[in-house]
Parts: sequence; C-alpha cells; structure tokens
Amino acid sequence: MNGMLNEQTSIYLQIAQMMENDILRGIYQEEEQVPSTNELARQFRINPATAAKGVNLLVEEGILYKKRGIGMFVSTGAVAAIRQKRKAAFYEDYVKTLVNEAKNLHIDKAELLEMIGKAQSEG
Amino acid sequence: MEHKTLKAQGLVKAYGKKQVLHGINIEFRPGCIYGLIGRNGAGKTTLLGCLTGQLRPTGGQVLYGEDLVWENAKALENICFSREMSTTFFAGPNTYKIRDYMRAARAYYPGWDEEYAQKLVAEFGLNVKKQISKLSKGMLSMVTIVLALASRAPVTILDEPVAGLDVVARQRFYDLLLEDFEQTGRTFVVSTHILDEASPIFEEVVVLDEGNIIAMDNTDHLLSVLHQVSGLEDEVDAAVEGMELISSRKTGRSKTVVVRCEESLLQRAVAGRPVDASRLNLQNAFIALTGHKEDSHDQK
Repeated sequence: MNGMLNEQTSIYLQIAQMMENDILRGIYQEEEQVPSTNELARQFRINPATAAKGVNLLVEEGILYKKRGIGMFVSTGAVAAIRQKRKAAFYEDYVKTLVNEAKNLHIDKAELLEMIGKAQSEG
Repeated sequence: MEHKTLKAQGLVKAYGKKQVLHGINIEFRPGCIYGLIGRNGAGKTTLLGCLTGQLRPTGGQVLYGEDLVWENAKALENICFSREMSTTFFAGPNTYKIRDYMRAARAYYPGWDEEYAQKLVAEFGLNVKKQISKLSKGMLSMVTIVLALASRAPVTILDEPVAGLDVVARQRFYDLLLEDFEQTGRTFVVSTHILDEASPIFEEVVVLDEGNIIAMDNTDHLLSVLHQVSGLEDEVDAAVEGMELISSRKTGRSKTVVVRCEESLLQRAVAGRPVDASRLNLQNAFIALTGHKEDSHDQK
C-alpha cells in the first residue's frame, strides 16, 4: 500500500479503497495475509482505530477475513467481489458525473457517445 | 496501572474576576488519542492545568475514575501533563538541567520507564547535562516529549509538543506516539496548532473557543458533517436553506458558506445545482468554527 491520502474522503474509506486496489492489482492475492491495522496506522500515520475501521469495512463485505490470532487475509473470490461492487458504483460515480459535465459543456448525446467510442478504441 | 476515564463536570476557572473556562463538560476515555485545538487564549492550557490537578477549579469538578484529582496524589500519579517548558524561571534563567527534570519525573510517576527515556534522549540527540535555559525551542519540545512518553502514565497530556520542531522531527514524534499507543493503548491528549498533519492521528477532536467547548467529536465524523458550498449567491442560499450556518463570505456575486449537516443530506441539497460542495480539512474546519467572521453565526 503506497497511496497518498487526500482530504476529500474519510480516511477509513481511502484505506479500504487502497486495499481493494492492491487486491485488484495482485499485490495481495487471494488467501494471502494483508498488513495489520497497526502496520497500516504506522505507514499512513493515522489513528489505529481509523485503520481498523477501513479493514473492518472489507471484512463486512467479505473481501477480507480474520484468522484468529494470525491476522487478516484476502478471501477467495475477493477480486470478483470487488469488481462487482465497483461496477455498481461506476454508474453513480462516473457515468452521472460524465453526463452532468457534458451538459455543462453543451455536448449532446451523439457527440458524447462518439467520444466514448473514440476513447474505447484508443484505450 | 489501571486505566480510567478522566472527566471534567461543569468546570469553571476564573482568575480574579476574569472567567476563563465557562462550565466545561468533557470525558477522556481510556485508549483513545484526543486532539485539543483552540486559538491562542482559548483556555487550552488552563483546561489542561485543571484536568491534571495543577490548577484548582473555581467551580465544578475533575474526576479520574470516581476520584477527585485536586490534591489527590494517588489519582495524579496516573496523569502526566507535559507542559511547554520555559527557559526562564521566575526572574532568572532556568538553570535546571534536562536530567533534573528526568529525575523528578522518575520520582513522581510510578510507571516511569528509564530505559525508554534514555532511548528517546539518544534518538533526539539531547545532552541531559544541558541547562534548560540553553535549549532551543525545538529542544525544549523534545524534552517535553521524552518526559511525556517515558512517564507511561495512563493519561498523558502533551501541550504543544511539536512547537518549534522541524517537519522531520514532527513526523518522528507522530511515529513515536503511534508506536507507544500501539504498545500501551493509553490515553493521549495532544494540543497543537499544526492541524492538518496531526488530524489523522486524532481519533477524537475537541475544539475549545473562548472558554467553551464548541465541538467534541470523532475527527472523521466532524469533518464529514462540515461542508463548504460555493457558487452564485442565490444558488448557494437556496442549496443550504435550513442548514446550520457556520460561516459565510461574499465576494462580488459569489458566496462561500460552511454548513453543518449529514453528508447524505448535503448531497441531496446540492444535486443538480450549479454549486461546488467540498469537505474541509481540519484546519479550514477550525477556522470556520472559531474565526468569528463578521457575517458568520456560531452555533453549538
């Protein structure tokens, strides 16, 4: 985990998100151990309670699980679960914002769809 | 040592006719790092003095667990207040040496950890034979940090521990604080003016303003309910109608306000409106809460 914290989102959410990014990128693979809350607290210079809140969020969602006395591990199926979750948020967080900004700039539907097609073929 | 809650109930402190604290109610529960923030003259040091039995309350009471702390040596040995040090002592220079302070702390705090103290002294490169009057501002802060951390007191209070420290030393202090907290889980109360870098360290934050507590909340929650909204004046007014207004500022046609409300409520209020809404960092939240701007309202 090497990200930088920003001030626009709660820190615990950022910790959860960075952990998810690292799982998607294969930095932590399924059934592997992830850093402890104290390690996270030290690394990001944040309160351990905040780090724990971020980790617990992922435990509640079944992305991480706790092995008693050992630590936190990535669940089997975590990668698929994260993708599924992010797809659901994609519409709210990206598509709506995109459409809104297009409206501000008077970009009509045809032009917007053309731009999306262009971006897809370039990517 | 037993970790108990330190609390003030209806705490009033006056110097002569001037009342400095106006009935403070506060609790510091075990195992939590608190940030105490307030402008110069807000009453922070007076509050800390009363909480630690160094100043006698004019009214109300301070309890450690169930026991009054005033003139109660048994309770006070659990509470360490590491004050800002002064290079002067009454009329003359403070000729005590660092090691005199360490010796006094060793005698006072039953949990004093000499090995840890020595380790910290070496880490900060302090010469214990040096007189307090000969120390720089940063070195004075380092001494207060050594005394506070090595006291291992269940409630440890640091008043401006990072004053005069450079950014590297400040980061080192936060690392030491977190390391100690990880090992001991004791309660820390830290007052500081350098808010943004300390804010992620504080689980709870207490804002003192002119002798009153105007906010006392989980840091993340406080920052999630304060929002800055800006845009064309009429649009901003319409968006934040009915919300608690913390501060407001106008420049030509544009208006910027800070309001307090739940995040979801704000999101609904600004959705589809041509206004910008953003969170505040602790420093800007603090300015909005305590700035007493001309056309701002300050509500509890």
